[in-house]
Amino acid sequence: MSNELKSFLEGLDSLAHDCESRKGQACSLNELDELRIEFLGRKGKLAQSMGALGKLDNTDKPAAGKKANEIKQSITALIDSWQAELNAAESGKAMSQFDPTMPGRKPWAGSLHPVTLVMDEVCDVLTGLGFEHAAGPEVENDWHNFEALNIPPEHPARDMQDTLYVSEKIVLRTHTSGMQIRSMLKQEPPLAVIAPGKVYRRDSDLTHTPMFHQIEGLLVDKNVSMGDLRGTLTVFVRQVFGPKTEVRFRPSFFPFTEPSAEVDISCVMCGGKGTSDGKTCRICKGTGWVEILGCGMVDPNVFKSVGYDPEVYTGFAFGLGIERIAMLKYGIGDLRMFFENDVRFLEQFA
Amino acid sequence: MLVSLNWLREFVPYEGDIQVLGDKLTMLGLELEGIEDPFENVQDIVVGHVVECESHPEAEKLSVCTVDVGDAETVTIVCGAPNVAKGQNVPVAKVGTVMPEGMKIKKAKLRGIKSFGMICSESELGFSDDHDGIWVLDPAFKVGDKLVDALNLERTVFDFDITPNRADCLSILGFARETALAFDLPLTMPKLNLIESGGNAADDLKILIDDPELCPLYNGRILRGVETKKAPDWMRFKLMALGQRPISNIVDCTNYIMFELGQPLHAFDLDLIEDATIRVAPATDGMKFTTLDAVERTLTANDLLIWDGKKPVALAGVMGGINSEMHAGSTNVLLEAAVFRPGTIRKTARRLSLPSDASYRFERGVDQVMNRFAMDRAAQLMAETSGGTVVSGVSSNEPKPWQDRAHGYRHDRCMSLLGLDLEPDFAKKVFEGEGCTVDDSDPANWTVSSPSYRLDLEREVDLYEEVGRVFGLDQIPAVLPKVSKSLNTSVAAETQYGFIKGIKAWGAGAGLNEAINYSFVGDDDLDRLNLPAEGRVHIANPLSADQNVLRTDIAPGLLNTLKNNLAQGNNHVRIFEVANKFIADAESETETSEHSRLGILLFGPRHATEWPWAAGEADFLDIKGHVEHLVENQLKLAAPDFALTEDHAYLEPCVEVKIGDDIIGIMGKVKEDIADFYHAKKDVWLADLDLDVLRAMTTAHAIKFAPLPIFPPSRRDVTVIGPATLQAQAIRDAIQNAGIKILESVELVAEFVPENQEEGKEERNLSFRLTYRHATKTLKDKQVDKEHKKVLAALEQNLPIRF
Repeated sequence: MSNELKSFLEGLDSLAHDCESRKGQACSLNELDELRIEFLGRKGKLAQSMGALGKLDNTDKPAAGKKANEIKQSITALIDSWQAELNAAESGKAMSQFDPTMPGRKPWAGSLHPVTLVMDEVCDVLTGLGFEHAAGPEVENDWHNFEALNIPPEHPARDMQDTLYVSEKIVLRTHTSGMQIRSMLKQEPPLAVIAPGKVYRRDSDLTHTPMFHQIEGLLVDKNVSMGDLRGTLTVFVRQVFGPKTEVRFRPSFFPFTEPSAEVDISCVMCGGKGTSDGKTCRICKGTGWVEILGCGMVDPNVFKSVGYDPEVYTGFAFGLGIERIAMLKYGIGDLRMFFENDVRFLEQFA
Repeated sequence: MLVSLNWLREFVPYEGDIQVLGDKLTMLGLELEGIEDPFENVQDIVVGHVVECESHPEAEKLSVCTVDVGDAETVTIVCGAPNVAKGQNVPVAKVGTVMPEGMKIKKAKLRGIKSFGMICSESELGFSDDHDGIWVLDPAFKVGDKLVDALNLERTVFDFDITPNRADCLSILGFARETALAFDLPLTMPKLNLIESGGNAADDLKILIDDPELCPLYNGRILRGVETKKAPDWMRFKLMALGQRPISNIVDCTNYIMFELGQPLHAFDLDLIEDATIRVAPATDGMKFTTLDAVERTLTANDLLIWDGKKPVALAGVMGGINSEMHAGSTNVLLEAAVFRPGTIRKTARRLSLPSDASYRFERGVDQVMNRFAMDRAAQLMAETSGGTVVSGVSSNEPKPWQDRAHGYRHDRCMSLLGLDLEPDFAKKVFEGEGCTVDDSDPANWTVSSPSYRLDLEREVDLYEEVGRVFGLDQIPAVLPKVSKSLNTSVAAETQYGFIKGIKAWGAGAGLNEAINYSFVGDDDLDRLNLPAEGRVHIANPLSADQNVLRTDIAPGLLNTLKNNLAQGNNHVRIFEVANKFIADAESETETSEHSRLGILLFGPRHATEWPWAAGEADFLDIKGHVEHLVENQLKLAAPDFALTEDHAYLEPCVEVKIGDDIIGIMGKVKEDIADFYHAKKDVWLADLDLDVLRAMTTAHAIKFAPLPIFPPSRRDVTVIGPATLQAQAIRDAIQNAGIKILESVELVAEFVPENQEEGKEERNLSFRLTYRHATKTLKDKQVDKEHKKVLAALEQNLPIRF
């Protein structure tokens, strides 16, 4: 080995040692870049050492070139490993300052009115059973609202509902039942409709508002029975209030159905026990039952008024108050809140 | 309807649990509302015995009594009543007792003597108006007993809710019948023990009826020599238990029978009836009549009157006249027991706002067959309680006697309707138990005659209800119906409900809270918004002046909601409402046309006030953005046109929103003077959209897929400097109307308004980004530049702008 070669190779080794000895001196990526240029740059220490390569014998050059390459790789690897360490440290620092608890840029939350929520839920159950939507006017004439429903003038049943009148023969509909009539006049049986909407009564106190919402249901076909009515309402009640809810049919009276029934469900507050926390349940007043709707088999006189033959067809009808169900379902104590539209109330219903 | 347990037991021997009775009757359709103790408010009063009674040394009107109240020691009570005396049994409220009026009895010192309680009068205990002195009780009462026990007062009264069809249950007798049916118990009617004493009532009184439809039956009995006084205690206490205030023996007897048997009765002073005649005939329009409450009533020809030979003496079935009523000195009585046409009574009672226990029963229908028994029993009680005598016989006119009603009954059909499978014998037993007679000689079609007291059994289907009711509607097996549909009607467009459901879902998704306001407001609310007076639909009998007219516009309700919220300190209101507005329409069968609207109201900050959202108040671009998002993104309709309109009733600026020629709504800022009324100190932005038009457009609109572009776009920006009065849309239109085929879209990307501009020469800079694209090839820069220059030239040519 020539002396020239020997000194060349030693120079490379000392360069490598020099670089190793600088460990820990570069504290930032910038300093490390400077270090990289110092050793590996175009005019860096390695390049300077390589200047001596030209003076070597041609026979020494391959060994010298090989060694130079090894040294370059080892210095590069060394600096890369330092860079990886620095990167990891930087990233760790950044993560330690990342705060996932800052508020998100969430889109504004709107809400549907609880009446809409309950109405949709009830309608979904019934349309799932095959009922179709029907609609009718809120200002209704006496015939559709009363007479065709077997409530003639002077009938005491008119006392069951205090009516808001527009004129002698025009009323704000007192129930959604008038839409039964409109549906039947439009279409021959079979007929399965639901008619949700606003209704009006001349009544305003803690438990009554002059406007509220109802859903009317009507099924007319051959051989419809009270058993079908019980089944339909049981499904609806359990869907809305839970599968364990008990349903009770109590005989009652509505002019447009015969037989008529009121439907009670086991109290949502006390589970039908009548007491809650050892006290008489305030929702069912200790009876274990709460009334939620009225129903019955369509009265033959109603069929006659729309030209259906009561000897051929039978049917059932029911009408339920939405606010009542919403109050029970969501535990809303004061009916008037529904129409005050306080946004703090509205926002609670997503 | 209040039902006293002990009175019920006079008819039917029910000895079971009272809650079981109430529940059973509830499930028969007589809904129990509650069980009350009518004398709860005097339950702590005890029977005391006055052992000593001496004058108060300091006050001669006071007595110092030593009273034995059954306790270990007697108590001293200072009493001011003049009739208190040694040896009496008296009702005593001991210290701590709460009196019916709410006063609590405390120890007191009267003129230096301590008093431990109070000796009570009847009026203090609510038993009569008698203020004359303390109540002297039966000497046989046991000292220390509770007064309610000593007097054997009713402690159990049921309150039932009676549906209008069950007129038969407006009496103790009616409930006794249902109880007997429910528990299979015998029913016992009271024994009649009427002693008649000569003469002939038919000679003393002539009864004329003008129209048998209005009055199918009028019976009269005559009593002579009666003494009008307080009714006996047993009768008064029974009436009090039902919440009735006793009046006098004669009147109390009529009430007693009405509550017991359901037949309303009226007692006239016979000496005030002229010409010994009773005539039942209508009033005439405008005639005046003074009822016994001393109110002069104006009558119509629809009101039915009872007349004597000269004058009207009673408003039939509703209230007697002041000119013929029983008074303290009356000695001779005409007892009326009649049946009137229900609708007539109802109309009169409603029109005059004179609901009474009598009219309530008449308008639901009374038992014409029971009428005579009820009258006779009343006459018997009157004689027994007044010392009077009953003249023999009855003066009667029954132009329309009761006809038994027979109905067909097909058991198979009944079972099919109820969804039951019962033996025919069950139905037969039900009918017979309810007093019907059954002829089942044709097994397929029976004939069932219903009793005179079951006026609700008018048709075959009413009999089905009875079978269901007695079997228990709750016992019918529940099944799900097969809903069959016609092929033709099953394919239908989206329903209005479905459309509105979509709109509401959009509103909630867009960050708005759904509100629901009353459909009615006050005229004031509409006037305040300068809305026209024409076309309003008024409510004839509103609850209040602020609810007297239907909304002719969606805004008043939304603004009231804003006001309510501001009053609650909610300063951030973003709401929507879907509701009808109502316009008078003579063409409509309901005299009204109803229009579905969507109202949106924005008030306060645009975003949440929480970091990281930027601060900023909602402005025109927010309300407009909501409208655009709904129309273009939710409903997929064409981008609407927006045009400023002037002279709107309550908005300024007001912008009309159109698609093609159709106006789909308006939006803008509520005028400041109007907003002030609602206490809104910031801008109120409101939109009012026509959902009928939007729904029609949506139904007609079909979404068509457009193939995605294959070749890349090329973009050029241009900043247009123009007068501040030049609208963005005009620039947009000029760009789009330049006729450049490869121009795909135009976007506004920036607005800049230079500061310190010269008055009247204000300008603004609007920067647009134009996207060019060719459908079948990649555009070269040169080609795009050429087309873009054409756009700029068109702009310069058509608008007062520069670049």
